[in-house]
Amino acid sequence: MKTQKFSPTPYLFLAPAIILLFIFNLFPAVATFQQSLFAESARRGADPIFVRFENFMRIFQDPVFWKSAKVTLLFSLITNPMQTVLALGLALIATQKVKGIGIFRSIYLLPVAVSINVAVVVWGLMVDTNAGLINGMLNQIGLPEQAFLTSPDQALYTIIMIISWKGIPYWALFFIAAVQGIPVSAIEAALIDGANKWQLLTRIIIPILRPIILFVLVADTIINFTLFVPIQLLTQGGPQLSSNLVMYETYRRGFIYGDLGSSSVMLTIMFIVILIVIGIQNLLLRERN
Amino acid sequence: MTSNELFKINTSNKKGRINPKKLLYSGAKYIVLVLIAILVLLPLLWGIAASFTPLEKTYEYAYPFSWKAFIPVDFTLDAYEAIFERGFGNSLLNTFLLGIITVVIGGLICTSAGFAFSRFDFPGKKLLFFIVLLTFTIPGDLTVIPRFIMIKDWGWINTWQALVVPLLANSFIIFMSSQFFKEFPQELVDAARVDGASWLRVYFSVVLPVSKPLLISLGLILFLSQWDSYFWPLLVAPDQQFRVVQLAITESVQEYQTFWNELLAGSMLAAIIPILLLIPFQKYFINAVVGGVKE
Repeated sequence: MKTQKFSPTPYLFLAPAIILLFIFNLFPAVATFQQSLFAESARRGADPIFVRFENFMRIFQDPVFWKSAKVTLLFSLITNPMQTVLALGLALIATQKVKGIGIFRSIYLLPVAVSINVAVVVWGLMVDTNAGLINGMLNQIGLPEQAFLTSPDQALYTIIMIISWKGIPYWALFFIAAVQGIPVSAIEAALIDGANKWQLLTRIIIPILRPIILFVLVADTIINFTLFVPIQLLTQGGPQLSSNLVMYETYRRGFIYGDLGSSSVMLTIMFIVILIVIGIQNLLLRERN
Repeated sequence: MTSNELFKINTSNKKGRINPKKLLYSGAKYIVLVLIAILVLLPLLWGIAASFTPLEKTYEYAYPFSWKAFIPVDFTLDAYEAIFERGFGNSLLNTFLLGIITVVIGGLICTSAGFAFSRFDFPGKKLLFFIVLLTFTIPGDLTVIPRFIMIKDWGWINTWQALVVPLLANSFIIFMSSQFFKEFPQELVDAARVDGASWLRVYFSVVLPVSKPLLISLGLILFLSQWDSYFWPLLVAPDQQFRVVQLAITESVQEYQTFWNELLAGSMLAAIIPILLLIPFQKYFINAVVGGVKE
């Protein structure tokens, strides 16, 4: 059905989607880069001034930015490997061959359907320092109560726990499908060779799942990198900026202080970091092939 | 075919005899399964129970902790009545309709693009497909400022179109549908073409009617993208009249007091609809999400 002469048909089918992608995705990406190189003029209504990398210099000298970069790095290094490993663990548990496993699997996947907003609201009340259910339970069994979100030492970890309630089952979804797709012959062969369960996991299952593990790790990293809602609803970056992720800092500057220039700079930096992460992923995938 | 068998293979060597070690092992398995289930269900069970409990009692049963926190012994619909009086019903209905509109229009736009990529050869195809993949890798939140300014310049703040139009073209769904349509038998398309059907007719009456798995999964993804959105509506449509469900929930957080029971009532209502949608269509959703990744 290869058409010889030029036909407008495919372009007509494509036009709505491509036009919308240009307007709402591609153009804003370019505009973010562009904005990061300009500053608002002091005169009202005047055109923004091209300042080259001045905005970047300003951000790089800003201790609040570095603090939030540090928090984001710590957050990423803990959250993403932890969620990936536990998601794989959950998938292996949820594919066990025992009676009633279907019910357990359905329960485990419930958080996937719950929006992050709802998860954060409910958990936020549960970890309330003064009257929360979790402290009530700790108190009941004689354990010390915790400050959770009100302590600069605990706020970030509490947020990590809360988002993992949804995050782990979400990524387990990918692993469950992958584990179910492992050919039985590979496992039988290993068992005949006398492999125990640990060897089965490390020598057969993990190597087969390697591409999907890598995908989950990278996708999780990118998604958590732009995490915003939990911070906005739970801590607004506090206490003492201890949970002030870079994405929240960009929101604060752009939409609360109205400083779109430095907000765009930070978004541009985040974009570059994401491109580097994707680049590393591609390198790792290529290495294997 | 599945590796689920692996554990069966392992445990079925000694048939007939009851092995205490094996029994202990499967008992331990159930303990782990139940513990995880409790951890998953804890916030949902408490949320449901507390939403049916009077405000003072929701604090009372949580701290000090009482089993009544999980069973609404003082059953009341106060919280639900309060949020519906504030217009929560409107938010539910609006968000639901927004979701349906997004699914129908967005679905048409994305599948027709996917159709063009899978069935035609044309100059610029590679470039355009590259653009689709490129926009897929740019997280939407990173480009939110120019998008917001654009919407503001157009005078679209607090309008329905600000909530719908930016979500219509979804690069993941375009990609997914082009993969799906590639599998579609060419003979059927050719036969319809020979009969004189236009391409538009081929797309609507030959291809779409047999693409149920694709349509279900893209429907779920687009609907949830609208139902779950919080940040974008917060920026472009914060007015009461346009308040989407995720924003409406947080209205119970007020300056001097948070109404726990109302906050939870709203949250449970917001959660129940996606749960009801995902349970029957689980398989399609998993296939769609995971299938997109394998490519």
